[in-house]
Amino acid sequence: MTGSVGQFLVLLSLLVATTGAMIGFYAGRVRTKEAVEWARKFAYLYAACMIGATLVMEYALLTHDFRVGYVEQVGSRAVPMWVTIVSLWSSLEGSILFWGFILAIYIAGAVRFTKNEHADFMGDSIGVWLSCAIFFSYLIAAPANPFGLVANPPFDGPGPNPLLQNHLLMIIHPPFLYLGYVGMTIPFGFASAALMRGRLGAGFLRPIRASLLLPWCFLTIAIMLGGWWAYEVLGWGGYWAWDPVENASLLPWLTATAALHSAIVMERRGVLKGWTVTLVQASFLLTVLGTFMTRSGVFNSVHSFTQSAIGPTILVFLAAALLFAIVLLSMRIDSLEAEGRIDGAVSREGMFLVNNLLFVLLTFTILIGTAFPLIVEAFKGKQMSVGRPYFDAMVVPIGTALLFLLGVGPALPWGRAKQGQALRLLLPPAALGVLVAGAGFALGSSNFWTLLTLFFGGYAAHVTMAEMWSPVAARMKRGENVGTAVMQAQVRRGRRRFGSYVVHAGAVITIVAIAVSSTMRTSRELQLEKGQTATVGKYGVTFLGAEDRQEPHRLSTIARFRITKNGKEIATLAPRMNQYQTMREPIGSPDVYSTLAGDFYISLMNVDVPTQRVGISVYQTPMIAWIWISVILMGLGGLIALIPARAPRVAIASEPVLPGGVPAES
Amino acid sequence: MNKTVLAIGILITAALVAVFFLVMGKDPGHIDSPLIGRPAPTFTLRAVGSGQPLNLEQLRGKPVVINFWATWCMPCYQEHPVLVQNARMLGDNVQFVGVVFNDTEDKIQQFLNARGSAYPTVIDEAGKTAIAYGVGGVPETFFVDKAGKIVAKYEGPMDGDTLQSYVAKVMQ
Repeated sequence: MTGSVGQFLVLLSLLVATTGAMIGFYAGRVRTKEAVEWARKFAYLYAACMIGATLVMEYALLTHDFRVGYVEQVGSRAVPMWVTIVSLWSSLEGSILFWGFILAIYIAGAVRFTKNEHADFMGDSIGVWLSCAIFFSYLIAAPANPFGLVANPPFDGPGPNPLLQNHLLMIIHPPFLYLGYVGMTIPFGFASAALMRGRLGAGFLRPIRASLLLPWCFLTIAIMLGGWWAYEVLGWGGYWAWDPVENASLLPWLTATAALHSAIVMERRGVLKGWTVTLVQASFLLTVLGTFMTRSGVFNSVHSFTQSAIGPTILVFLAAALLFAIVLLSMRIDSLEAEGRIDGAVSREGMFLVNNLLFVLLTFTILIGTAFPLIVEAFKGKQMSVGRPYFDAMVVPIGTALLFLLGVGPALPWGRAKQGQALRLLLPPAALGVLVAGAGFALGSSNFWTLLTLFFGGYAAHVTMAEMWSPVAARMKRGENVGTAVMQAQVRRGRRRFGSYVVHAGAVITIVAIAVSSTMRTSRELQLEKGQTATVGKYGVTFLGAEDRQEPHRLSTIARFRITKNGKEIATLAPRMNQYQTMREPIGSPDVYSTLAGDFYISLMNVDVPTQRVGISVYQTPMIAWIWISVILMGLGGLIALIPARAPRVAIASEPVLPGGVPAES
Repeated sequence: MNKTVLAIGILITAALVAVFFLVMGKDPGHIDSPLIGRPAPTFTLRAVGSGQPLNLEQLRGKPVVINFWATWCMPCYQEHPVLVQNARMLGDNVQFVGVVFNDTEDKIQQFLNARGSAYPTVIDEAGKTAIAYGVGGVPETFFVDKAGKIVAKYEGPMDGDTLQSYVAKVMQ
């Protein structure tokens, strides 16, 4: 019964999305109020169907209804309730349903927040969103149907993928990633509508920018959570391996970041319209590419779902979306005429342009590195891999250049800057740059790129702080006290500006922390017997013993170590080796003692319980915790920038209240 | 109509879709073994239980199935009965050899006592044989023909049908 209700809702959503998309495009042509209103209604109806179907699935999971295919596949009476709830995204079919659920929320949200504005664009926007919805509803209805009926339902099931239960981060990483990926559909719809209309004014830029910034925040945090998970779980002491699927999550982030910047130039100077729209389109297309890479089984990765039948379907969607975007762009890009022009290279907009080119270059570099092994295999039949050396060699200089721009860009004024003025603005921050690089050198860093990163980092930090401080200082000059000035300048009025500098501050710390942690990491391999102590720098590692532990879904060997620093005990670490029933190789699970200065990380290489001997790898990595913290700061900064500036009081006062106290929709 | 945008866009789309289309359906975890078609690396290893050395070259003249496994490997538990049953069924026509690495003799003996055995199991103590065969994980199985040449390799646990189809290749 439950399964049939879910199945019905999915099929209904397919019907509603198809009809709604047609109405949307029709509304885009005729542009009457009624037609747009109908399209909006269908968008809400689609959202209701999809959210309903997801709730039905959660209900089936929670009631252990093993007649439902997906519950039979991932459900288990033995696992705790929270595992049951999150097993919605633990396997392919459920995760596609979850995808549809998030798409539904985004579409409903976008329709709700645009209210009656942008009527010219809303019909086509809804048409594009619901066209994407048709595809996902089709996936859920047929090739990845989670509601299939089980002929002989078992009494109990196997439970979700054991890796899901291995670490909390594994549970929160996917929702953030989906919120980032799926959310790119909304700006894609807006941008497509602008192209269909053949015009893009400042007014319509606002919803495009806002709808791009929200998923950008989620994607930023999702990428970091994935790296953090890899660091805490996979046991090789690193957090980023240039794995194809990691790259897939980074690609749309890069183009979206570029688009957020070019949108500012467009807003200020009326230029880069076609370019901004292209970047927005590319961000969405790259999320579809990423989805294909994860779900098709083309890549070997820690992320890949098992070989699935939906690969070809996603490829068709990718090809269709690419063609749609390209034909649309080529037809209309010339009609998005520039209203202004860029005056000089040494100006803020000039730096924005360079920033954009670097982001796009980075995107292509990573895309080529990721796809190259596939190209070789497809045409020459040989297997190869593109690894760290390529990515490091390409990404480090571009990343450093971006950090340079992060300092220089905001320091320069809009429009043409005079030479003397430019120098006056650009020189002072170099002091902090020299100071930071000097401190790094004194603390033992001798790597050229790291020192350069520290210099640019100090420089950018100075500029960022100055930019945050200047509106406050201006108000204080006018006689406001510090508290009011900060409140007015940052929280009330300049939220967008303030938020973007918070993002910049986070980015500076992130890049510096990446450079320092990756070049100043030390590792040692040790062989220890029970009771034996080894000294690693300031730390002492004593092996306390190892034991086997049989758990329902895995066999674990756990070794315990006492860690001392300068002779004082600071922690007990217990790395383990887990053998899951469904995997060919054991998976090490490291243990970390983490502080802001650096991490002490132990990973088991081999362990023999009868003789109580272990082989371990010990990694000491400075500053790594700063990466997690500063990326969260970036996400928060984005959210701060997203909160709309406070509406004028008149508008609030004039909002009519209907009898019964419900405010009327404006 | 901006023809440059159209041309570049179509080119990128076509290239991307063509590459993905061509590689789809291949197992990305599969690594081609350079050993296929070459003589099987020889080894002399001690058999569990009897302690007698077993030399691969002594088995020349008969197809050999070399199965790498370990007691800490969960999928090997699932594959073991398939191997034992087929080894019994095929009798003298095919020689099965189990090679265990990264393991202790006690554990192997315990495993075999509990789950039965039908062919010699040898211990690869330093893991040298596994390295010579380029074993990437356990279980992994190599099929060697009468002339001592490796004909095929299988990664992961086999079911009866898979095993028989591979054995048929070395019997020819």
